[in-house]
Formats: sequence, C-alpha cells, structure tokens
Amino acid sequence: MIKFVDVVKTYSNGVQALRGINLTINDGEFVAIIGLSGAGKSTLLRSINKMIPITSGKLYIDDVEISTIKGKELRMLRRSIGMIFQSFNLVKRMSVYSNVLTGRVAYHSTLKTVFGFFPKTEKLLALESLDTMGILEKAFIRADQLSGGQQQRVALARALTQQPKVILADEPVASLDPITTVQVMDDFARINRKLGITIVANMHHVDLALKYASRIIGIKDGVIVFDGTNEQINDDILVNIYGRSLKHDEVLGE
Amino acid sequence: MTKTEQMLKKKPKKWITNLIFTFAIIIAIVYSFSDSRINWKRFNSVGSYLNAMLESFADIDVDFLLGTGLYRFEEGVLFLTLETLAIGFLGTLIGAILAIPFSFLASTNIVGPKFAKLGETFLIIIRVFPEIILALILVKGFGMNALTGVLTIGLHSIGMLGKMFAETIDNMDRSSIEALDAVGANVWQKIRYGIIPQIVPELSSVALYRLDINVRSATILGIIGAGGLGATMVLAASNWNWSVLGAIMLSIIVMVLVVDGISSYLRNKLV
Amino acid sequence: MVAHLNTTKYWVNDMTRFVLTNGKSITKPFNKIWIILGILIVLVVFFSYFIQYDPRYIVLSELSVLFEKLFTPRGTRTWSDYFAYMLTLKDPLISTLQMSFAGTIMGSILAIPVAIFAAKNIAKYPIIYVPMRFLMNLIRTIPALILALIAVMFVGIGVLPGIIAITIFTFGIMAKMLYEVIETIDMNSYEALESTGANKIQAFRYAVFPQIFPIYISYLVYIFEINVRSSAILGYVGTEGIGSVIKDNILYNYDRVGAAIIVMFVLILTIQFISNLIRRKLQ
Repeated sequence: MIKFVDVVKTYSNGVQALRGINLTINDGEFVAIIGLSGAGKSTLLRSINKMIPITSGKLYIDDVEISTIKGKELRMLRRSIGMIFQSFNLVKRMSVYSNVLTGRVAYHSTLKTVFGFFPKTEKLLALESLDTMGILEKAFIRADQLSGGQQQRVALARALTQQPKVILADEPVASLDPITTVQVMDDFARINRKLGITIVANMHHVDLALKYASRIIGIKDGVIVFDGTNEQINDDILVNIYGRSLKHDEVLGE
Repeated sequence: MTKTEQMLKKKPKKWITNLIFTFAIIIAIVYSFSDSRINWKRFNSVGSYLNAMLESFADIDVDFLLGTGLYRFEEGVLFLTLETLAIGFLGTLIGAILAIPFSFLASTNIVGPKFAKLGETFLIIIRVFPEIILALILVKGFGMNALTGVLTIGLHSIGMLGKMFAETIDNMDRSSIEALDAVGANVWQKIRYGIIPQIVPELSSVALYRLDINVRSATILGIIGAGGLGATMVLAASNWNWSVLGAIMLSIIVMVLVVDGISSYLRNKLV
Repeated sequence: MVAHLNTTKYWVNDMTRFVLTNGKSITKPFNKIWIILGILIVLVVFFSYFIQYDPRYIVLSELSVLFEKLFTPRGTRTWSDYFAYMLTLKDPLISTLQMSFAGTIMGSILAIPVAIFAAKNIAKYPIIYVPMRFLMNLIRTIPALILALIAVMFVGIGVLPGIIAITIFTFGIMAKMLYEVIETIDMNSYEALESTGANKIQAFRYAVFPQIFPIYISYLVYIFEINVRSSAILGYVGTEGIGSVIKDNILYNYDRVGAAIIVMFVLILTIQFISNLIRRKLQ
C-alpha cells in the first residue's frame, strides 16, 4: 500500500512540482496518472521509489515512512518496486537474459553479483519471467537487437524477476507503435490480474488510460484534480485536467 | 543598373582572399626550399642509387631472415620482428590497463569538472612528450633492451588512451544506470552492469587502434636502442647495406599490414 | 578418463542448461569472453619471451641522476647560459617548422588526385581504386622516421630529406582520410552536375570540393600538428631540426638536451593549441 500525506516537492530551481498530494493506493489496483507534461506526473511516480526525494510531507510504503531511509534500506525498498521507463533503459550490449537477471542484484552481496554468481533458482526465475512475457527464445540475444516492443517486454521481465509488489511505469508505451502499444498494455493488464501486482502508470494517451486502468488520477499544476474510476470521467473533467480539449496525439485513436 | 547587375556587384569578392592565401603558401614553400643547406646535386645520383637498391632488395639472405646458419636466432629478422611486435603488444596492454584509473580521474562523469581538468592536463603532459625522448631517458634507467621499449610505449599510451577512455566515459548512456538505480543496485553493481558493458567494447576498439600505431613506434624505438628492428636498421643504413635494409623493410611492411588487418577486422566486429 | 570427461560435461551442462517449471528447456551459449581472455593470456606469455633483458643493467637511480643532469646547467655554465642556449635554438626550431610546413602542404596536395581515384563513388571500377588503396596502405606502413632515414641515404643530410619524408608520410595519411571522406559525402549534386554535361573534373570541382574543403583543411591542420611532433625528432637521423641538436649533445651536454626538450615541449604545446583552435572554428 502506498500512501501520500501532504507531500510537497520543490526543486532547487524553485519549481514546485508537487503541492500537497494526498493519495492512497491499495494493493492490486491498476492506477493511471494523466495530465499535461510538467504537471507533476513524473515527479509523483519517482517519489514512490525515492528516485526523487520529497521536500516535505510523509510517504508510506506498506506503513514504512520512507523520507528518512537511505543506503541499504533504500535499496531493499527499491528491489521490491519495479520500474518501467519510456526508453526501456536496458543495458544495450548485454544479453536479454543478463538484463533480466540484474533485477535481482539488490538481493545479494556485492561480491557475488559483481562476478555474476546468482543462485540457479534465480537464473531460472529470470528465464521464466521471459517466458511469461513470451520472449524466452530471445534470452541470449543482445538487448539492442530487439524491436521496441520486445525491449519493453524485457524491461517488464526484469521487473517481474524482482518479484515486486508494485510496478511503476513512466509513459511505458509512448515510444511504441500503436499495435505494440496494445500488446504491452495487455501485458500490464495480465500481470495486474494474474499476479496481483499493483500497477501505477503515467499515461500520455488518455484513451488507453481509460481502457486499461481501474482508477484514474488527474494531475494539474502539482495538485490532484481528479481521483476516481474510468466511468466517472467525462469530457468536462478532462478539459479541467488538461486546461483545454484533448489534442490529436493524446488520443491513440479507434 | 539593373537589379541583377547590382547583385553581381555585391557578390563577396572571395577571389582576392583566395589569391592572397595561395600566394602566401607559395612564398612559404619557396622559403622552406630556399635553404642553402639543401644539396640539390645529390638528386642526380638518385637514379643509380635506386638501381643498386632494387638489386640488393631482391637478393635476400634467408639465413639472415630466419636467424639460422651463421646468424644467431636473436639476430635474425624473424626474431627482431617478433620482438618489435612484442614491444608494441605488451606496451599497449600495459598502457591500456593503467590508463583506466587515469581516465577515471580525467572524466567529468566520475570526479566532476574541476578535478577532471586537472587529470586531463596531466594526461596532456604525458602525451606531448615525444616517445623517443622518453625512450632516451628510460634507457638510462633500464638499459638498452626491449624492456625499455615496453615501458616507453606503455607510458606514452597511458597518456593517449587515458584521454580517449575519459571521452568514452563522458559520452556514456545514462539510462541503463537509472534503471539499475531503480532496481536497488549499489555503486559496484552499477559499475559492473551499467558502465562496464557499455565502455569495454569502445575501450577495446580504441586500444586496438593504438596497437596499430604502437607497433610502428616500436620499430622506431630501436633506433635509440630500445630493442627491436630499429637498431639493426640504423646500422644497415649507415653502412649502405641495402640487402639488410631491404629484408628489414619487407618485414616491417608485412608486420604492419598484418597488425593493421587484424586490428581493423576486430574493430569492425566490436561495433 | 572417460568418467572424468563425463562429469565435466555434466558440470558444463549444469551451468548452461536450464529446464523451466513448465517443461521448456533452453541452453545458454558459451560465453565468448573466456575465449578472448584465454587468447590474451596466451599472447602475453608468448610475447614475454621476446622481451629479454639483463637485470644487471637496471639501475633505477640513474633516472633521477639523469633528470638532474637534464635540467641543471653543467659544469661552469650558469642558469643564464642555460636560457641563452634556448634562444640559440631558434634556427633548428625554424628548420623544424619549415620541414613540417612544406612537407604537409605538398603531401596534402599530392594526396588529392590519388584520393579521388581511390574513392569508390567517383572511380567506380575496382581496377582503378584497388591498386590506389594498396599503394596508399603500403606507404602508410612505413613510419616517418624510417622514411627520413632512407631519404638521408639518398640526398644527404639537411632539410630536404626531412621534407621528402614528411611529404610521403602526409601523402599516405591524407590520401586515406580524404578518400574515406569523399565516400561519405552526398553524391546527388555530383550526379546532377554530370547530367548537365560536366566532365569528371568539373563535377568534382563544383560538387564535391565545396563539401570536403573544410574537412580537408581540418585534416591538414591535424596532420601538420603530428608532423611538427615527428619532425622535431627526425633530426636524430640526420635531417635538421631540434632532433639533431639532441643527437649532437646527448653524450656530454645533458643540460643542452634538457633545454632542447623544453623548447620542443613548448613548440608542440603551442602548435597543438593553435590547431585545436582552428579546427574548432572549422566545425
């Protein structure tokens, strides 16, 4: 469970990205965060695994307040939170298999991981994650030789190998073509349904958000202006979030 | 005047600058050649020299080539060539390995811009120092042997490779490191899985390129005694011994072509 | 023996073969890094044999002695003598610059026609460009110092062999860099010009030349910098320049050698600085 209490984030250049966020996300939800670029979506997402530390307020992950944790505790927090990036963020020259295996580095000592000694069970886990994503046969191919959609699936497999409770996704399909987009979003839905993993995703395309997420959160200027189900959304609310009618590229189409 | 004629007048008169420039260059070249110390008469004898040279080139002493018969193995061209190769190879290897920590010290990504400038300056000093002078100095300490050659090339390479390594590190892609952060990796794990896989191919490519250059340098270092073909070559040259010189040059050409070929092939595979 | 081999096979299989819970199995290919490491180790061991030296000759203290000798005035000479000597190095310095300059320019000019004929997109038939490239490679394999050595044998000592050596050396490098650049340029304007009836030379002059000129000058400056460095040394084999100063004085007058080194250093740093400036402006 993720809980924001009066969370504020001000960057060193004075920009106030989050201005008093109060939010509770329960286990198993599929949450989509929508809003203009710069509204605070990225900051909100990255504060959950403390990639961006908050300035004030309290942030609880499973009843543990995280604003003071650092070092080993922080890494233990992060290893149970998976993150998916818009540009996949794979290690390009390594094999797919090695990339997925890096999801486990925080579970072992430095010495073992630097020399590549992972227990056989975890190696199998990595391969099974790849199989779950349907790309087992690509396991030993170099990561940058895969297509965009496949690379994002490798990223998902890496996240799954962490055996996480939550997966954070920062505009995960923004770089993909329409067909692959649907495939990857289906993967997210499947992971959420079958494995019960909480998904919190920043979505650029509003109609995708509405289609896949059970809960929509609209952010504008660092404040939550909408928090409800996709049925509760209507055009007026969208205009409020975006300050205008939706643009052509914010809707995937059909 | 019509509009077009006006435009024509306005066209920038580049030809004046070009003319001045060409003139200046011609003057500079003529001045360089006008040095009265140049012995132009020697040019006439070039023809006969060429003949003698080509004749002797063809007459290759196989014993000398392989280091058999009257020659000891160590005097043979084969040994000397391999010695030269050894100097180039080991020098590059040592230089590459030692350059890594220095490159960290000269890389903005690792130690920040101010310290990096310091590291870079240090590397520049090592680089500008001509190899031959370095060899002359090291010969005093280590003797006239191949070891000095290896050390010279090694030290010089630290300067050359250090800079290129630092550039590679600075141009690295940060995204994979961000992902490793999110997964909970510590510093060493980030280096092992985020930095090393990216830079090792590039560093190897740079080092292979350097190997090519260093093998050529190794042939020269012998001239001042640091082992390899250079010494025998200078001796042969001062004795006008074309057949020896020919054998050595042939060997050098073969060696460099082979190293060049291997280096290019491997570098293509790395990309 | 057979049993031993079998257990090794099982061990390797254990490391590389995976069977998933759903029954699928996959084999991890052998990691090439071990092969590379193995080859490297073999090469190191092999080549180390050739580095033969007599440990008795290693006297490290000689190094510090040498350093002292290099940078302090010898015998009855004073510091002002030391610096005054540097001023007398003006002539060798100019010789060095003369050699580099003339050699670089001539070598670069000679390289242009050859580069054109070695570029695949202008000389379209292998029978033209292959021998050109071979010639270039051949010339490039010979280090500048050796060229100088041979040139001295032909024309005696002086500035001329240095100029010849540098010309040939520059020719080799410039021709290769040039043809590589020519091959990467946009051929559209060249073809357009050919279609208007221009012959190859005209097409080159108006379509190709403007595109490569800035890069050509940039390479020229870069090669000039390299040549200044090597010409400072060429003196050692008989051409003029600072190198010959060093050779003449290496036996007894270490302080002069040190002075020469400092002068050379300053020269090379200055040229490098200027060349970086020019090349950045050309970008």
